[in-house]
Amino acid sequence: MSGEEEENAAELKIGEEFLRAKCLMNCEVALILEHKYEQLQQTSDDPMNQVSQVFEKSLQYVKRFSRYKNPDAVRQVREILSRYQLAEFELCVLGNLCPETVEEAIAMVPSIKTKGRAHDDEAIEKMVNDLSLIKKFE
Amino acid sequence: MFLKVKLPWNVVIPAENLDAKGLMLQKSIVLRLLEDFAHKKATKDLGYYLAVTTLESIGDGKIRQSTGEVLFPVVFSGITFKIYRGEILEGIVHKVLKHGVFLRCGPIENVYLSNAKMADYKYVQGENPVFLNDKHSKIEKDVVVRFIVIGTKWLEAEREFQALVSLEGDYLGPVS
Repeated sequence: MSGEEEENAAELKIGEEFLRAKCLMNCEVALILEHKYEQLQQTSDDPMNQVSQVFEKSLQYVKRFSRYKNPDAVRQVREILSRYQLAEFELCVLGNLCPETVEEAIAMVPSIKTKGRAHDDEAIEKMVNDLSLIKKFE
Repeated sequence: MFLKVKLPWNVVIPAENLDAKGLMLQKSIVLRLLEDFAHKKATKDLGYYLAVTTLESIGDGKIRQSTGEVLFPVVFSGITFKIYRGEILEGIVHKVLKHGVFLRCGPIENVYLSNAKMADYKYVQGENPVFLNDKHSKIEKDVVVRFIVIGTKWLEAEREFQALVSLEGDYLGPVS
């Protein structure tokens, strides 16, 4: 199996076009796919038959792996994490995995310590606390 | 990682669907787009095609002389799923074998974690085989595991990705 030699998400080497692409957190995708599925339920007797395997498996996955369920909370997570200088990719990994400590955050997204933005531990700690606060009040 | 993409697409409408005007035509185009989209399944560049979120624009139709169909260039926004080397993700174990386990992650069924990449876990045979470490941490069917992707492979014929993953790193392993 060959990995693409240059690609490495840990260093945020994921291709120029993807660095600028919009990424979505599992919880955001869950809201979108659930909404789509509901629309289908209204217009069809057998909605599961209308969706692709890819859709079905993805919907199951994002429902299980969403840390935040409430749409307002989901919006807040995006809004709050956007205040830090993060790439879309990094923002989503943090929103998906919800690290509880600074060490865990750096282990999950090593690039936040590099790439010339110098997120110091204090900033990362604040990020981690913000995420956990939103969860508490969800 | 789930990506929000904006893509151009050519939707081909057969002649018989063109009698209708305005809204019916737009509906035909949307339905056709959704069909094509679902049929596409995945590409190497963008990953698995999940859903169309918005139809951004529909251009003027061009008649295909030979078939009498009309081609409409459209631009739409949608969601795809792609897996990257170095990315940390969570997945669910669905098969346990002597040499490793297979996990499901998003739409991908074949995410492989070799026993060589979960060093302190040992295979335990049985009706419900598991991988166990000395801290009694278990990796078995239906367990959620957090891993790092060490390699990805695009299979052109099957139109799907496979991934090779590892537990070598901090904060990786089974998640309760």
